[in-house]
Amino acid sequence: MFSKIVRRTHMYLALFLAPWILMYALSTMAMNHRHFFQEYYGDSKTPFHLESETTYNGIFPDNAKPNTIAQQILLDLNMDGTHYVRGGRNGKPITIWREAPLWMKRITYTPDNNNLRIERQESRMPTILEELHRRKGFEQDYLLADLWGVIVDLVIAAMVFWVLSGLWMWWELKITRQWGGWFMIAGALLFALFIATI
Amino acid sequence: MSFNHFNRRLHLYLAMFLLPWVLMYGLSSLPFSHHDFFDDLYRGDGVSTWTKRFERSYDRPVPQGADLRQIGAQILADVDLEGAFGAHQPNQQRLNIYLHDFWDHTRLSYFITEQRLVAEDRRFRWDWFFTGMHARGGFQQDSFLNDLWAVVVDGVCIGFFIWIASGIYMWWLLKPTRLWGALALGGGIASFIIFLLAL
Repeated sequence: MFSKIVRRTHMYLALFLAPWILMYALSTMAMNHRHFFQEYYGDSKTPFHLESETTYNGIFPDNAKPNTIAQQILLDLNMDGTHYVRGGRNGKPITIWREAPLWMKRITYTPDNNNLRIERQESRMPTILEELHRRKGFEQDYLLADLWGVIVDLVIAAMVFWVLSGLWMWWELKITRQWGGWFMIAGALLFALFIATI
Repeated sequence: MSFNHFNRRLHLYLAMFLLPWVLMYGLSSLPFSHHDFFDDLYRGDGVSTWTKRFERSYDRPVPQGADLRQIGAQILADVDLEGAFGAHQPNQQRLNIYLHDFWDHTRLSYFITEQRLVAEDRRFRWDWFFTGMHARGGFQQDSFLNDLWAVVVDGVCIGFFIWIASGIYMWWLLKPTRLWGALALGGGIASFIIFLLAL
């Protein structure tokens, strides 16, 4: 019975998390071959393109902090969600990076002339994959972002569980013990060589 | 050997070989995901993050648009240091070179206008040991073993593709699990799409 629970958990967990594992594997390959993609696209940073430039007439509370200003602008633009903010102190321009996986935007508000500039990052698969790979939760008050963080933790727990349950299943299958053991020793030795030398 | 048999053995033996990497990528993701928690563990233990190894006057031009890795390699050679490294120019006045292996991390800061070079060693922390291993990759280092590590990183990625494909095949052959498996797979795909669209 215990063996069956281990096998079923191993499988169902893998089926549910398959899209994340696929994403992490593809994004790791993209990062491992970053130089290839940089040469392919001809630049190292994914460019932003101007989407709109308007006058923003919102009124902020007195002594509003950059985060308050950013949140209000995003709400007014109907773009609220995970973001980070640069600048915006003492009346200086404020830049908001809205981190949506498929449409990263950079919004710059200049208080001097109420100029609001919205730029969208060029859609490139390696960039989208890398953003997803690096994404974590629990940093901002957005439920969906926290849920993503929970899934990331689940992937971590699953990887450890797959290793342990895989070892259990291997040991149960007597006929594979010898070859499985050799493969495990070879992998462990190669890993140890790397740890000791590079 | 039937395809089913081959598929099962491939799934298992590939996992046995790549086991250390899967475990490492899993465990090392924790300090990335819960950075503040691990920072708190080490904060206040009185050990400073950087310890100066040397500081000396140094002069080497860094032209705009120059190949930073090439300049980094020359600077490292000038101070008799070698190993895997990265170079980064945060501004026109400064060039940083990071020399690292899994255990040690040295930062050389070249203050270009002041013609000054400072080398500092970073303290050891287990969370940095694991995150350093996790983030390591790429083929830009001039060393066989570093390239081999990058090949294995690709191998782990291909391994994950194979585990997904062979796992789905094994699940489909196991008829009593088809319904719940389809719900798990469908639920995962649907959740992932919702995240992509709504995050």
